[in-house]
Amino acid sequence: MIIQGFRLLLKTINLKATQIMALPVLICDDSSFARKQMKRALPDNWDIDLTFAGNGLEGIEAIRQGKGEVVFLDLTMPEMDGYGVLEIIRKEDLPAMVIVVSGDIQPDAQERVKKLGAMAFIKKPIDKEKATQILTEFGILSAAE
Amino acid sequence: MTTLINEDQRDCYQEITNIAMGQAADRLARLLNVYVILPIPKVNMISASELHMALADTTINDNVSAVCQGFIASGIAGEALLIFNDASFSDLAKLMNYKGPLDRHGELELLMDVSSVLIGACIQGIGDQFEISFNQGHPVVLGQHCHVDDLVKSGNHQWSQTLAIEIHYEIENMNINCDLLLLFTEDSVAKINQQIDYLLD
Repeated sequence: MIIQGFRLLLKTINLKATQIMALPVLICDDSSFARKQMKRALPDNWDIDLTFAGNGLEGIEAIRQGKGEVVFLDLTMPEMDGYGVLEIIRKEDLPAMVIVVSGDIQPDAQERVKKLGAMAFIKKPIDKEKATQILTEFGILSAAE
Repeated sequence: MTTLINEDQRDCYQEITNIAMGQAADRLARLLNVYVILPIPKVNMISASELHMALADTTINDNVSAVCQGFIASGIAGEALLIFNDASFSDLAKLMNYKGPLDRHGELELLMDVSSVLIGACIQGIGDQFEISFNQGHPVVLGQHCHVDDLVKSGNHQWSQTLAIEIHYEIENMNINCDLLLLFTEDSVAKINQQIDYLLD
């Protein structure tokens, strides 16, 4: 009885800790300029733990380490492209909500990434308005933030 | 004086081109109902003699047809060069629903249609990001059924250094490919670099 109560208490503390911890957000793009643009487009005062990746392989590594609950993903990248990243996320069932941010805006590209499990598609160049709109739309950003 | 670009600037040029070529590919994809494969564009400062090598380096080894078109805005001038693999014409004619005979005339018509989409959208896409509007000159046919080397020989180069942006377009599941080369004059590079530095800041 006492042990059970203790376990419950531990769980609650754990849950509280997760709530307090900043949201892990990953920006995955091979261009340092694009990563900078993306960072600038994120909402102000958004409590996040931001990580950068310069290609798909680095991106997957970061997601596996839990650094990308929300991922802003480019498509055209060396080593492993955005499509490859989406495939691995799906195959390994990794906990990542992916927003594709790409210059490849062909109808086919948008359709393909949605099929591969991407949550949303944003056309480059990105701006604060678009980023905030998508994040709000999917409930990642609450109205208060 | 040699104008050079540093790594950060090159990265920025690449990303800006990436967005512009994506917009051009989107136009072509919607027009032909296909998927255009987009590689990472190459950005380099090259000399007139190196242009020859850059062209020879293009993946197109067969006979080509080419169009060039100048563009200009305040203090920035350049030339877009679209080099089209001649083997692409039969597939392109099918996609464009071209009914006429595929002779030099027919090919020219297709070449002009594709180049106006790709060059126009790409130049506009780059201009938009710098918030400048380019005026485009008339397209000029550099040659039909010739070798890439001949394109350079026919040109009269009055510059020493140029910023060359090279984009290879390929259509998925089709035998269609071309190279788009954007060449900016040396004077323009200094001017664009200012814009780039502003974006990088």
